[in-house]
Amino acid sequence: MGFWGATVLACLGLQLHLMDETAVPQFLDVPALLESSQPRARGGWLVYVLVAFGFLFLTAFMSQPTTQAREAVGILAGIAVFVLMGVMLVFSKIAVRGLRAERDTIEGIGELLQLRCWPQAALTLQQVLSQPLRTAYLRAQALVYLSVVLARYHRFEDAIAVHNQILDEDLLDDGALASLLLSRAMAMLREDHLFDADRAISELRRTEGAAGSGALALVEIYRDVKTGHPDDALKTFEQKLPAMREQLGHRVGDAYGLAARAFDLLNRPTEAADAWRRATLMGPVGEMLRRYPELEKLVGRYQNAAAPAELA
Amino acid sequence: MIPVDVAIHRVRRDITLAVVLKAAFFLAIVGSLWIGPPYMKALALTVVGVAWVWLSVSSARNSQIAAGSPSLIASGQFDEAERQIDKAMRTFSLFRAAKLQSLHQLAMLRHAQRRWQESAALCRALLGQRLGVRSLSRASRLILAESLLEMNDLRGAYEAIIGLYQDRLPLREAMMLLAVQVDYEARIGAWGRIMNAAPTKVQLAEMMPAIHAARVEAMLALAALKLGRADWADWLRARVELLVDVPALCAQRPMLCELWGKQPDANAGD
Repeated sequence: MGFWGATVLACLGLQLHLMDETAVPQFLDVPALLESSQPRARGGWLVYVLVAFGFLFLTAFMSQPTTQAREAVGILAGIAVFVLMGVMLVFSKIAVRGLRAERDTIEGIGELLQLRCWPQAALTLQQVLSQPLRTAYLRAQALVYLSVVLARYHRFEDAIAVHNQILDEDLLDDGALASLLLSRAMAMLREDHLFDADRAISELRRTEGAAGSGALALVEIYRDVKTGHPDDALKTFEQKLPAMREQLGHRVGDAYGLAARAFDLLNRPTEAADAWRRATLMGPVGEMLRRYPELEKLVGRYQNAAAPAELA
Repeated sequence: MIPVDVAIHRVRRDITLAVVLKAAFFLAIVGSLWIGPPYMKALALTVVGVAWVWLSVSSARNSQIAAGSPSLIASGQFDEAERQIDKAMRTFSLFRAAKLQSLHQLAMLRHAQRRWQESAALCRALLGQRLGVRSLSRASRLILAESLLEMNDLRGAYEAIIGLYQDRLPLREAMMLLAVQVDYEARIGAWGRIMNAAPTKVQLAEMMPAIHAARVEAMLALAALKLGRADWADWLRARVELLVDVPALCAQRPMLCELWGKQPDANAGD
């Protein structure tokens, strides 16, 4: 608790200093990072060493004229086999340690994102992706995190490019794939690629893990609010609220925020005020506005939920 | 369904067998260097080396059999997870860590199935072993603490929790610990401790799945109510209502009924 408490406070402190967070961190050069992070084959030299050793042993063994000399070569070769095994053991230990360190770093980035420590996450991603990663799986995970950071800094085109690269390389399992497709659809909506977003949503309706999910419902509600179909948005909201509540946790506040906007578009201020109060109860208004700029129009018109003084 | 005592016995047996096998390999190496006709020494060493490499490679491959079981457990596919874990347990491995990992995965499965006694027995067996991997020890302690709390064994839960303070926990485990710790403190009525650093606890709860977040925030709300902090109690209670069904939450933790001015149901939580 102590460490994470301090980390949360440090993140909040840093973000106060970086109030102008929308300033784009230009150092995240997507094409360069996609190229430099490609895993490189390692340990290929071992096969050559083994073949060379076998060849040397055979020639040395066959060229000895006496039985004693052959015996000596045999014993030396046996010892060399075990020295080689020892060397392999040391190298595999070093490789495993490197792999663990890389995995820990990438898991650390995931934690930074959860804690909303965006600048630190961006810096670490820049470092990690600037060199070849050890496995395709770790690279895929790092690229997913990169797309989250890019979306956070409103670089949606870059985020979509990263999503497409991950999809092209077929790097994810089914569960992670559904999540990526949802993020991509959301990024398309933010970038006003409405036709592509609509197609992506149709694809998601047929994707196992995404079809019928609360996250897909949220994307659909956002599309309907964005394209001026508040009735459809509210219909989805009412139908899918139990699933969104169960699957999205506190992010169900986003759904209430979008529902508030839909009620507002339909000129139903009482329901809009109630939905907005619920939305602001579940999370900070600033975060919600960053995700859905369309909600700016509600700020000041409807009252936020009252939070305890320590949190205000 | 794999009986717990059989699983524990099988893992212990395999670990012992692996130790014996390693010793036998060492003796074979020494023996092949000193015993037998000269032309056989190199051949014997090569045979031992190949056998060792083959066993190591097949052990490494076997250690991957149940690698997918955590995601199967998370998605509720318990039968498939059980099948994979059973297969991993039946397969021999030279690596002690692989055998302990399969026992841990079985503990996770029993925990997800809400079979608290079996889960606690497995975790205790694991913690009784020399665990080379710290993350395995931490995860087992967390499962043990939660299982013991569900069994109302407060002393045991306290002992499991206290062992976790020696390590720096990853965020996911810190969140699990927070959930277990708040639950424990609510049961012993340590309301002041629950409200200590409440804003940070709320922020961590926001990252949890809905049911766990709701439980932590409801415990915080109850603590706030007990301490006369109506602002916190009202705010947290309203959040909980948006996250889960209140009757279902009260059925799991009857003490939380107080938040909604109800008497706990005598049969709830059984």
